[in-house]
Amino acid sequence: MAENKKVIEVKHVYKTYFMDGGTSQEVLKDINFTITSGEFVAIMGPSGSGKSTMMNILGCLDKPTSGKYILDGYNIDDKDDNELAKIRGKTIGFVFQNFNLMMKRTIADNVSLPLIYQNIGEKERYKRAVEMLKKVGLNGYQNRVPSQISGGMQQRVAIARALINNPAIIFADEPTGNLDSKTSDEIMDLFTELNQQGITIVLVTHEDDVADFATRMIKISDGHKVYDGLRKAYSKEKEIKC
Amino acid sequence: MLRAILKEAWISIASYKLRTFLTMLGIMIGVAAVVMMVSAGQAVQNRITQTFASMGSNLILIGPAELVSGGVRGGRGKPSVTVADVAALKTLKDVETSSYNMGAAVQAVYGSSNYGVSVRGTNPDFLNVNNWEIDDGIMFTDKDVKAAKPYVVIGQTIVDELFGLQNPIGKTLRLKGKPFTVIGTLKAKGDGLMGDDQDNIVIMPSTTLRQRLEGSDRPEFVNIAFVKATSEDKMESVAKRVEYMLRTRHRLKDGVKNDFTVRLMTEMVEKVRSVGFILSALLAAIASISLIVGSIGIMNMMLVSVTERTREIGTRKALGAPNSWIMAQFLAESILISFIGSFIGMVFGVVFSQIGGYIMNYDVPISIWSVIVSVTVAVVVGIVSGLMPALKAMRLNPIDALRYQ
Ligand SMILES: Nc1ncnc2c1ncn2[C@@H]1O[C@H](COP(=O)(O)OP(=O)(O)OP(=O)(O)O)[C@@H](O)[C@H]1O
Ligand SMILES: [Mg+2]
Repeated sequence: MAENKKVIEVKHVYKTYFMDGGTSQEVLKDINFTITSGEFVAIMGPSGSGKSTMMNILGCLDKPTSGKYILDGYNIDDKDDNELAKIRGKTIGFVFQNFNLMMKRTIADNVSLPLIYQNIGEKERYKRAVEMLKKVGLNGYQNRVPSQISGGMQQRVAIARALINNPAIIFADEPTGNLDSKTSDEIMDLFTELNQQGITIVLVTHEDDVADFATRMIKISDGHKVYDGLRKAYSKEKEIKC
Repeated sequence: MLRAILKEAWISIASYKLRTFLTMLGIMIGVAAVVMMVSAGQAVQNRITQTFASMGSNLILIGPAELVSGGVRGGRGKPSVTVADVAALKTLKDVETSSYNMGAAVQAVYGSSNYGVSVRGTNPDFLNVNNWEIDDGIMFTDKDVKAAKPYVVIGQTIVDELFGLQNPIGKTLRLKGKPFTVIGTLKAKGDGLMGDDQDNIVIMPSTTLRQRLEGSDRPEFVNIAFVKATSEDKMESVAKRVEYMLRTRHRLKDGVKNDFTVRLMTEMVEKVRSVGFILSALLAAIASISLIVGSIGIMNMMLVSVTERTREIGTRKALGAPNSWIMAQFLAESILISFIGSFIGMVFGVVFSQIGGYIMNYDVPISIWSVIVSVTVAVVVGIVSGLMPALKAMRLNPIDALRYQ
């Protein structure tokens, strides 16, 4: 994978939510940035600033009200639901704050779930799940169910699930939000390791400790991008006031 | 892919065992009820058909005229057809044979046993016309009829009731105190349509009945005459000839009503069968109400399931599930529930209808209909009750689904 290949291009993206009763709320305002392959980006900002909204657009779960979004060469605006599902299945891995595992299914079933939608057979799915569990440090856990393991381990299962399709990019919205600081560091170490293997990672967090694992930081405040640069170089004074 | 969908659906419904079972129960009861009702209806119809077949299906029955006053049926007129008429009818084209009977209900006595029997006076053709067979001994002959011999041929009920283990042939039984010699016995026919005992029968020459039993010299009118056509498709034409001949013989002028009625056995069979069919369709319709209730149960369960699994649906969509897949999975879940429920219901329905048939002494057919009904029901109910929930699942917006707590 070429280091300088653009995987994400966001151009003049606006997002407005229209509520029942005719009111509307502009959540994202003229957002622009590009992310190249292999980057590790933390999206930060206060609560309600529009981070999750940004992530949903980046993850092809939602479309911008206006502006352009290009993911891995695909122009997202002109895709229908099914094409978006295909893109999500092939190029994106999701990690959620509350893991979103199926509690009654085995860990192997959970990890291999995305492969079902790629029409991959049962045996192959199981095999790949076992391999992926090794990668995230859960060797031998395939036949247990999520309720038998700790929260940190559950998030590892979710990360294994995100990785199973060999995605170009992983989106994680507050992946450590439900974890204590020690477990949270372990998960971030895992993300760092994956990033070093070449996977692009974009995560949302409002914890500075978590953001420190990233190399680049994008800060959103009240729907505007107020900082975009190296995480190390960030200081409150460098924010562009709007 | 279908395999994967079915498997996902199966695992999902299997993880809510009690709820799935209770939902299935509704469909099970519904299908079992329909299958039992259809079987019962068929059993009754078969019984009707068999009974008519045992009476002979090519028969034309000639009886007294119906009394009609002011458009209202008022019972039967006096017998008008004579033994001589019946003999003449036999000569018509396409007529195999003809017979008649005159009846009386009397007490039969043998030794210390007695039994109320139905006596018929007739001719030897009675056997052929009414599909009777001699079991033991012989039938009386035309000569015996001419000579009004005191001979009787008796049905199995009378053999059992009066003679028990003894051989009745050659024995003398008394009817109204007068002696008659048993020269033959009839093979058993079983119960008639109305549960009447067809084997409670004593037949004797019509002349014997009139002269010895009734002691009257009135002309030889018969209660009912039978004409047997050579085949079923000739019955209509034979019926016309019978009517023409009887009108001629009775010297009825044009415009005068028949003093007799002519009925085809096939018409009567049809009438009774169609009543039976309507009855069993009605029963099945009532039973299918429980099917509707069952399918509402499935729909309800699936709607709850979709709501409960909103996050799961959102996650699946985020991980690449196309809308069609989500819809197919939920549809597969409801179809599986109704399919398994229908299958078990069908098995129970068949088993119970067999047990019921055994207890009530009915021959209940295991019909292909129960299979067709249950499979159709399974698919239709599954689709109908699963469609709305599946569409609801399909239309869920992944973002809302993931935010759902
Ligand atoms: N589906 C929606 N419909 C209407 N308004 C929404 C919707 N999703 C988010 N919003 C609103 O948009 C704004 C931004 O929400 P968003 O979830 O993106 O914030 P966030 O930065 O992720 O906040 P947090 O740190 O609390 O997760 C909020 O005011 C929120 O109420
Ligand atoms: Mg958020």
